[in-house]
Amino acid sequence: MLRCLDNSGNFTGNCSDMTVLERQRMRMKWQQEQPCHENQSLYGDSALGEVVAKSMKPELGQLHFPSFGLGSSRFEAASAISATSMAGVEESRGTGSVPEKEKMSSACGKHSFKKRKSDKIHSSKVVAESENKEKKMKGGGEEGESKITEQNSNKNTTTNNSSSKDTCGGTSKGNSKASEVQKTDYIHVRARRGQATDSHSLAERVRREKISERMKYLQDLVPGCNKITGKAGMLDEIINYVQSLQRQVEFLSMKLAAVNPALDFNRDDLFSKEVFSTCGPSFATFGMGSDMNNPAYLQFNSGQQVPPPSIPETFLDSCCFPQILPSSTYESDLHKLISVGSDQPRAVSSSFLSQPFTGVVEASHPKMEM
Amino acid sequence: MQNPRSEKLEFLQKWMEGMGKCTSLKKNMSLLERKKAIKVSADLAMASTRTESKCWSRALIANIASRDHNSKVLTEHVIGSSQCLRLRKAFTSSSFSQLKNKRMLNRTRKIMKRRRRTVRSRVKKVVMADSIARRLVQKRTEMLKRLVPGGDLMDDDVSLIEETLDYIQSLRSQVQAMRCLLATSQLMNCS
Repeated sequence: MLRCLDNSGNFTGNCSDMTVLERQRMRMKWQQEQPCHENQSLYGDSALGEVVAKSMKPELGQLHFPSFGLGSSRFEAASAISATSMAGVEESRGTGSVPEKEKMSSACGKHSFKKRKSDKIHSSKVVAESENKEKKMKGGGEEGESKITEQNSNKNTTTNNSSSKDTCGGTSKGNSKASEVQKTDYIHVRARRGQATDSHSLAERVRREKISERMKYLQDLVPGCNKITGKAGMLDEIINYVQSLQRQVEFLSMKLAAVNPALDFNRDDLFSKEVFSTCGPSFATFGMGSDMNNPAYLQFNSGQQVPPPSIPETFLDSCCFPQILPSSTYESDLHKLISVGSDQPRAVSSSFLSQPFTGVVEASHPKMEM
Repeated sequence: MQNPRSEKLEFLQKWMEGMGKCTSLKKNMSLLERKKAIKVSADLAMASTRTESKCWSRALIANIASRDHNSKVLTEHVIGSSQCLRLRKAFTSSSFSQLKNKRMLNRTRKIMKRRRRTVRSRVKKVVMADSIARRLVQKRTEMLKRLVPGGDLMDDDVSLIEETLDYIQSLRSQVQAMRCLLATSQLMNCS
């Protein structure tokens, strides 16, 4: 590994004609790799690095190509650097070995172009897929790189990943922000192609993705949010919804107070079987869907023979009123209830059934009906 | 996630308990008093199902407990006096109020700055869509923080959204339970 570092020093020293940008890139890359070496000793890099260096040697002559595959360095940067450095080397050398290098550089260039193209297309896909692309690459150096990135991606697929490439800076910063990740280690966050790689922006991106994930959950919860995509619009809807729910609570409590002259909701007869029989077991509560229906129904059936186990529980069974908001499910539940009601040999007819529902419908805020 | 059925059960039990306590505290309440009693008991019951996991429930309980003596007694009855004490300590401690004051101070500072800025920058009107969007989102976040109990304690958006999610769910179940009760009591009255 030290050898390679020395080589890189030689490399940069030799090609003094390299542009400042290229030199900066090299330096940045090396800097990125420094902490990586400490963290990722799993890679068994030294052997591979030697292999890469050796494979490079015969083709490039004195050019000991930096083993950029050692750390989890960026492919684009590496390929770009390789292409430019090759070109730069070509210019600086211009000797008999040019045709060889030319071939190599053109091959490299082609491969790098291919890499760039494939990266552009697949920049948004998962690590494994980009790994497959890399496997198809030819060339000794590229093979070494692909092997190493294979290793990288194998390790990385086990961690939480956004769909982009790896950076060492991100991992070291991810260390400090990794408190929420399941692994005790760091988050492998990859910077996408063409985006900043410094730790701040990566952390910012992770945070933004978390927020958008939560917003998606909220979209499912708040009705009518499927079409809205912007954050501000979503927040608007959420605020409206929370306000309307709070207003509903106020309204309902007022109504309850008006219905009952004294707060005597604890009456036994309120929860008697008579009341339950009118209300079927069907339930259309959010997130509780079908699994509620069956146990409720069973309880309802058993309730016929056995006296209700406890007041609140049987009252729960009667809480079959569906959500008013999705009117389609409301109607289907109404049908279910009517069918259940007709099973019971009671004087309570469907007209009686419809009465509480109309009351409930009136009680709901008109805004809620969507 | 807890069993939703047991949660609803717990909610109803606590609600009835609270209302029973209210009636024992004062007989012959007026309509408004009754409505308040119902609402407060329902809120307490709702919050008590989520006390350990979420911030909004604790903030709600603390707010109710700090309103007046009757509410405090009711809270202690429903929640349990030790827990009530702990919550009140957490939410009305000096550091907490300092935090609140600091936030208010920051807010007033921002408003003053904005006023000054609008006076000066009447000449240059560079409209950046980015900053407008950001300001819109910020305003709405502030509004949401005011709506959700304990919202202004949360600095980062992620936890705010999580709290909102949970709060919305609880509000919905509360509304459902209230509707059920209303319907059945209407039925009883009619029959």
